[in-house]
Amino acid sequence: MIIDHPLLGPRDAAEFVVKGDASLIGRPDGMTASPEDMHDYMYLRDNTAGEHRELWYHEQGDRSWLVVTRNTLTHEVTKVELARDVARAQGRSR
Amino acid sequence: MAELAFTLSAAPILGGVNQSIGENRIVERDDLALVSIATPIDGEASLTASLETGWGLALPDPTVSTPRGETRAVRTAPDQLLLIFQHGTPNADATVKSKLGGTGYTTDQTDAWVILEVSGPKTLDALERLCPLDVSHFPDGGAGRTVMEHMGAMVIRLGADRFLLLSASSSARSFLHAVETSYRYVTD
Repeated sequence: MIIDHPLLGPRDAAEFVVKGDASLIGRPDGMTASPEDMHDYMYLRDNTAGEHRELWYHEQGDRSWLVVTRNTLTHEVTKVELARDVARAQGRSR
Repeated sequence: MAELAFTLSAAPILGGVNQSIGENRIVERDDLALVSIATPIDGEASLTASLETGWGLALPDPTVSTPRGETRAVRTAPDQLLLIFQHGTPNADATVKSKLGGTGYTTDQTDAWVILEVSGPKTLDALERLCPLDVSHFPDGGAGRTVMEHMGAMVIRLGADRFLLLSASSSARSFLHAVETSYRYVTD
């Protein structure tokens, strides 16, 4: 599988490590969230057949975190973004 | 009691390897120092200015390095670059810090990496076996960080058939073996 890194161009998936569902970016504030919210964040994942967003870490490269959108049915990678851009777009400071 | 005086001098990581394989050469570059510079948050403009005044270097874009003589800046991460320069004494970090004047966070990487300069007519063929990046399409100064034979490595193109290869000093002998083996497969 080839991941088209937004800064570096196409790179082999062997350089990356997959780190799980992209929803992990949106961790609730542990001081104010209810136990149910924390439980859902920790344990519940969608098991999508189709378009799926995942965190990938470019360990053997520039150490950036990416959000990769891929199709679990066709293995097609449709979008690759820097995770920090996604987080900032969601209103996070970094 | 007799007074003992010792002068210690650093040994090259691979003993200063300098060998030919066919018409190709593998040389350990023990004369180069490495210092990584991280950009402070919102500090890219002032770091760019200090690179220009301190070394006459432009801030490199991803996938390319900016050279000035034997000094070179390589972008290693979105907010980090690696400065490669000739330096004979073990105080590279202090030298860089004094020129930066607080515009970047530095870490001395000199002893963490082994640096091989490889050159010769079969170099592209040897790297093709070893390196997942297509270095034949790199421009002069093109740079990338990747993995070779399971070892993290950096590759920088210096000329048509001349490259710098960097890998962890702790596995330097394995890395040299991988490079040598690859050259042997494509020569004779």
